[in-house]
Parts: sequence; structure tokens; C-alpha cells
Amino acid sequence: MSKKYDVIIIGAGNGGLAAAADCARAGLSTLLLERHNIPGGSASSFVRGRFEFEPSLHELAGIGTPEEVGSIEAMFTRWGADVDWKKHNSTFRLIVPAKKGDKDTFINENGVEVTVDARMPVGFENFARKLEEIVPGSYESCMKAFDLSERLFKAFDALDNPAKLPFSIKDLPDIMRMASHTLKEGLDELGMPKKAQDIFNTYWCYMGSPASTFDFLYYMTVLHSYVKSGTGIPTLRSHEMSLAIDKVIRDNGGDIWYNSEVTKVIMKNGKPAGVVINGEKEVYGKYFICNSYPAVVFRDLFKETEIPKQQLKMLNARKTAVTLTTVYLGMNKTKEELGITDYSVFIAPDSDSDKQYALTKDFFSGYCIINCLNEIIPDCTPEGTCQLFLTTMTHGDVMKDIKPEDYKKFKTKVAKDMIETCEKALNISITPYIEEIEIALPPTFSRYLNTPWGTPYGYMLEKWDSMIPRTAQYIKDQPFENFLFCGATQERGDGYGCAYYSGEKAAGIAIKALKEGK
Amino acid sequence: MASKLKSLKATKFISLLKNRQNTFNNAMARLPETPDNATAIARALHPKKQFVKVAEIIERADDCKSFVLVPNAAKGTKELAYFSAGKYLTVFADIDGMKITRAYSISSSPKDALNGKYMLTVKLVEGGIMSRYILDNWTVGTEVEVSAPEGHFEYQPLRDAQKVICLAGGSGITPFISMANAILDGDEDFDMTLIYGSRNKDSILFYDELEEIKKTGKIKVIHALSDEENCGDGFEKGFITAELIKKYAPENEAYSVFICGPQAMYEFVDKELEKLGLPKKYVRHEMFGEFHNPKTQEDYPTDIPDTVSITVTVKDETKTVTGSTNDSVLQILEKNGISAPSRCRSGECGFCHSHLISGKVYVPEHLEYRRLADHKFNCIHLCCSFPLTDLVINVPPAK
Repeated sequence: MSKKYDVIIIGAGNGGLAAAADCARAGLSTLLLERHNIPGGSASSFVRGRFEFEPSLHELAGIGTPEEVGSIEAMFTRWGADVDWKKHNSTFRLIVPAKKGDKDTFINENGVEVTVDARMPVGFENFARKLEEIVPGSYESCMKAFDLSERLFKAFDALDNPAKLPFSIKDLPDIMRMASHTLKEGLDELGMPKKAQDIFNTYWCYMGSPASTFDFLYYMTVLHSYVKSGTGIPTLRSHEMSLAIDKVIRDNGGDIWYNSEVTKVIMKNGKPAGVVINGEKEVYGKYFICNSYPAVVFRDLFKETEIPKQQLKMLNARKTAVTLTTVYLGMNKTKEELGITDYSVFIAPDSDSDKQYALTKDFFSGYCIINCLNEIIPDCTPEGTCQLFLTTMTHGDVMKDIKPEDYKKFKTKVAKDMIETCEKALNISITPYIEEIEIALPPTFSRYLNTPWGTPYGYMLEKWDSMIPRTAQYIKDQPFENFLFCGATQERGDGYGCAYYSGEKAAGIAIKALKEGK
Repeated sequence: MASKLKSLKATKFISLLKNRQNTFNNAMARLPETPDNATAIARALHPKKQFVKVAEIIERADDCKSFVLVPNAAKGTKELAYFSAGKYLTVFADIDGMKITRAYSISSSPKDALNGKYMLTVKLVEGGIMSRYILDNWTVGTEVEVSAPEGHFEYQPLRDAQKVICLAGGSGITPFISMANAILDGDEDFDMTLIYGSRNKDSILFYDELEEIKKTGKIKVIHALSDEENCGDGFEKGFITAELIKKYAPENEAYSVFICGPQAMYEFVDKELEKLGLPKKYVRHEMFGEFHNPKTQEDYPTDIPDTVSITVTVKDETKTVTGSTNDSVLQILEKNGISAPSRCRSGECGFCHSHLISGKVYVPEHLEYRRLADHKFNCIHLCCSFPLTDLVINVPPAK
């Protein structure tokens, strides 16, 4: 009979890794199970020819400055996880190419006719000044928004650590207002001009909910983290972060079994008691933390009669968030030769986030983010080359009429459209210099992440299901007292940082329960 | 500080939780019926395993046979996964308690897969355990377990030139037979010129099929014969040299070169290709195949013992085995009855990714496909890591 673990963690995505690291470090006997042969889920890398590609990370907020340690950086330091961070000191560039009939167009530095070209800097003051430069009359509202988010963070800090006051109780009503109103309502109330709002809202796609749906509070925490002190990425792709945590888990006595897919949850007395791995081996545990999607877990691991009714209702009430398509390009020219000047350019057919969201119902609508990793890590590819990745989003049944035999042609067509969109918007040439290409559509992400639609984003953060109510009802949302979910399906939705926090939170609850139980 | 959001209602906050609860309460309490269409495609193209049966055997030469494989519905495989021409299947076999794998390019067309057929063509490799086993043991009706189609040796219109010179040697012809048929079926669209190197006329595999393909006029086929004295019309004498490639390559137009053949051919042809000065993007190799004799490599260290012991943990079981330093860690495990994960056996796919806890291994430079962080955290690909000292390793179970 194999040993009984204190905690069994299902899935070594970012949430599962964080949970396992904390559980192992707390001295609990910990088993982390992963169906894939390497850790990380989205946080990974892959090699094609002489290129190693970053599969998913755009940038990580919470990597601080020499003066102030960021929250994610602090988490890795606390674990003793060895990651070499590279800092990035700008946010994004938004380009909206002009369409026929557009007024107020101009020719930008690339020689392209556009309605918006906004390259936004780090720092609240810098950001607001730049916004004012592009949209006169927006400075004050922008600074007000950042002032609100500053106070918001102080309040969060105070909740975690009452010694960290000052946190003014007077801020509470504003925080409640921010939590219960949308991003659009908030910015309208601050008097931000529409065009400035569109630029301000560019990061909506990182969480997948547009301004009329996304709550003001959560968007401000996201934007605040990026603008405050810039971002960071690991030097050796996200695989470095995942292997660093893998090491922490092992060094602290935790077990990790790869190629070990949980195929069944064993129930005893109405509670999970163990799991079956690859249909053969049974392992028992006291507490379970699950870094997979409720839709997948309940479909594949439980009998329908074992599932709490509330969980099934939750599944049907929620909407799967947007999913991604990414084209990875190994280029046989440098970024300078190609004429690429920014790490991250958002190319949008329309500046309005709700229109952008509506457009993503079609497979490719002209909305595309182009990243060049060499901007942050100049030597991440061999001399004379660079790597690009192009990302677009979709939602709804975009694969409906695609048969397996049509898939390659379809994939190639989508990639071609995305590449041409970037070529036009930046007035550069990409196609002739492609040495390696990999195209990941929702089925690719579904294959590697095993999520509905291949989404890495969890459930859509909607007005009624936003971060604050999710947080308030977290315990109530869990299916069993000894079975917690973590990852993108939880309070904060998508993002590396969000997933790490969710794993940390679940581990904290498990550790407390098990230690008290003893 | 005065509120900046006065006209927004703070009291709305109170209804947030209630709304959420109500929305959940009003939803249906049942499991979603089918997986989404993205997941459906992923499952169709990448099944975990495929169970097939040998339906037909075609003798290609004294030491080479083609096997037509069809779904083994009784074992749960009802349809074969579609694939892009050029991909391979990993064959799983249990030979006297030794669980081993080999990768074979699919020689049938993608369209055949839709009609429930794959063809694998196996040529005897000197000293090869799997090829010997398959040629001696597979008969009509033999049940076989294979992987989903894998690999990256395929035409990609956004990357490759419209004109492609395909260089094949020996059984390296197999992926090109698939590509040629994919072109004829309309599944691929590129101008293919196939230069196929064989010893003599008798050792040409798929000769009749290639004649048929030639007749369509859509694909050029050239046989290069190294050992034939009187080649006769329509044949080229000698090896596949830079000159020969030049002869058939377009003059003022970009072209790609695809290469598949035995290791000796890669070594020869790569030198010839250097003379042509093609950009890297236009030269694509099929995988190298399993590497043997590490000690012949120039950078192999000296004073390495003949045998080493390897302590291996798979899940919660730990064993210590001994093996030869001539064998890869993967081979040593297999010879000791420990099944480890593997697919390509050429270093590339990373399926055998494992943790090296202590000890040293040798990895031939041209098989170094590990990720950067793998070096930092001591992870190895078992199939192309050769032990230099006693090792302690942590290996995932073979799935």
C-alpha cells in the first residue's frame, strides 16, 4: 500500500506549483501530479531549430525595482526559487490603423496612417502626461484613477497586515464603488475623454473582459501593477520559473510525478479520499488542491451523483473566457533589420474594448498583439536572429465547421492573416524572414492545458462574477471541504501572478486545516 | 480626501454577492454534454495512443516490408488520427520483457488515414532490435500499439519556398512518398522534386509507386545510384552532391531542401549543402535517428568506465541497475525492464525529459535540443544522454 499524503495537488500549472511549494515548505507530505511531462502548464517553453520560444508570458507585474521588491519576486525569494529576472521599463504601444472614412487620422513614425498611436511609459505621472499629450484634457482623470488604485492597494495591504496603516476608512465607500461598477462607469465618472479611455483600457485583453463588463476595481489593480514600476520576465523563458519551483518542491521533500494524469477521484463518505493515476494506480490523501477546470474535473474525474449540485449550476451559469491563438516566429533577421522598435504592440481595428471583444467572435478580426522578446532579452536567440510572437483572442464556437483534415490549412490561413496585419500596421516585412514557425490555435492550447476551448483565462470576469464577489465567496465556491480549486478559474482569473496567488491561498487554507486537525 | 466617484453608488456593493448567488441558483444543474469543438479537434489529432492491427504486408526488398495498419476497434481505436505528410508514429513493443519504442515515418498519404489506413515501412537496421523484431514477427492480424502522429518534418507554406528539392536515402524515402501523395490529393501545395539515392536499381524502394507518381507530371523523380556501373537513361550516377542538387534546383528562385535518410547520408549531404550556401530556413532535416557509439565523438571525455550503475526513481519505486556507457540512459533502462517515456529517440521531442539528481552524462552536440532552463536545473533527455559516471535520476512513468 502506498503512503497516504497530507496533500495531493492535481496539476502542475502555476497555481499547482505554488500550492505544492507552500505545502512542502510547511512540512506537509505533498504529492504533485501532472499529466504532461514537464511542469508549468502555460509557463513553459519549446524548441524549434535554433530557437527556444516563450509560449505564453507577455510580462509579469510584481517584479520590482532595486528600491522596492515586487510581490511576485518576493514570493519566489521566499520559496528560494532561483530565477534570473529581466526588467522591462515600458508598458504598451497601441496602434489603431486608419480605416476608410476615419477622421482625425495622421501618419505615424512608421509611415502608417493611424487614428491612435500611443506608446505608454512606466510611472503614473509619466503615463498621465503621455495620455494628456495624445488626448488633451485627460491628465487629471488619469491621475485620479491612479490615486484611487494607490489607496486601493493600501487598503489591501492593511487587510493583510493591519500594522501597515495608514489606510483611511474613508476610502471604503470608493472601494465599494469601484468594485460594484464597471471600468467604463468609473472612467466616465472621473470625466476621462472617450479616446483616452480607449488607450487607458488597452490591457483589458489580459483579463479578457471589456470595459462595459470588467469591474473598475480589478482593472485598476491590474493597470496599476504594470504602470507603477514596470514588469519583468525570466531570462530563460517561463520554463525557468516552473523548473525553479519544481526544485523548491523536491528540495522540501515534496514528490512530483509527471506523465501522471489523474483519471478518477476516489470518494469516501461523500468526500474525496484519493485519486487514480493513469487508470491504474491509487494514491490516498487528506487534502486536495486542484489546478484544473471544474468543467473538466467534473466531466472526467467524478460520477455525476458525486458532484455537488451547486458546482453543476456554477458550470452552467459561467461563460468560458476568451481563448488565444498564438503564432511563434523564429526570424533570420535581427529586430533592427526588421524595423521592430517595441516589445509589445497592440494592433486593434477599433480602439474601443467592447468593439474589440465583439470582433473576436470571428476567428481573426485584425486584433493582434506582436511581441519581440529580444527587446528585453537581446541574446534570447542566436546572433543575427530574433523571435516574435503574435497573439489574438477569440470567443464562442470558432472551430465549429473545422474538420481535422482542414485544420492545417485553416491554421496557416489564420497565421498568414495575423502576420500580414502586423506587417501592414508596422509597415515592415516579416514573411520572407521566417526560419521557424509554430501556430497554436485553441485546439493546441486544449491539448496542452486540457481546458475548455483551450482557454488559459478561466471563466469570464463578468459584472456579477467579478473578483471581489469571487473572493468573498471563495470557500463557499469550493466543492468539498478538503478539495479546493486554484488557478485561472478562481478569484483573480487569468495571469501568472494571479495563478501563483491562488495556489498560495489554497495552500494556506490546506496547511491551516491540516495543522489544526493534528 | 473627497470622493471622486460620488455619483456611483457604494450601496450597489451589497447586492453583488446576492446577484452572484442568484445567477448560480437559476442555472441548470447538469454536466455539459460534449466537449467543445477545440477539444474535439485536439483529441482527434492527438489521441494518447492508437491501437491498430496489421491488415496487409507488402515486400519491398529482402530486408524491407511495408505494413498496412488499420484501427483495432476492439481495443478502442475506431478512427485513425489525421496527420500532415512527413509525420511519424512511435511503435511500442514488448520484446522479451523489454519495453521499447521506435519512430517510423508514415509512408501512406494523409487521405488514407481518413479511410482508416496508415502504412509504415520498416527496413532492417544492422543490429537493430526493433526492425528485426517487426520484420520477423508482424503478420496479418498482429495487434500493435502506436502513438499519435508526431514530428515537425513537414511543408509549411509560410516558411518554406514554393519549390522544394527533397533528398532521400534508403528507407528515408518514406515521408516523401506521403508528401508526394498529399500533393496529388490536393492536401499540400508545393513543387516537389525528389532526388532519391540508392545503391543500385534493385535496392530502390517504392520504384513502381514512384514511376506512377512521375507519370502524373506534377512531381519530378530522379534516382541517384551510387553502386550501379551502367545506370542507363533516366538515372544519375553517384551520390547526392551539390552539383546534382544544383542541376535540378531552380536558377533564379528560392528553393527549400528537405532531407531524410540514414545518418551517413546526413553527414555527406550536409557538407554538400554548405557549398550551396542556402539560408538555414531553406534546409530542413528529418530527425537524426537513434545515436550509437558515443565514444567515437571527438569531444567524448577520456577515462570513462565501461559500466556504471543508475539509481532510478519512477513515481514511488526506486531501483538500481547497471549498464554500459555505450548505451543511452534510455537504452539502459529498457534493457533492465524499466519502461521510460520516449517518442522520437533523437533528442528532439523532449518526451523523455527527466531529472538528473546526481552524476554526469555526455550529450552529442548535434542532439542538444534541451531547453535553456533544463541545463540550469539539471534536466536531461534520456534518449541522447550517455552516462559518464554512476547516476541518480528521476524519470516519469511511460504513459
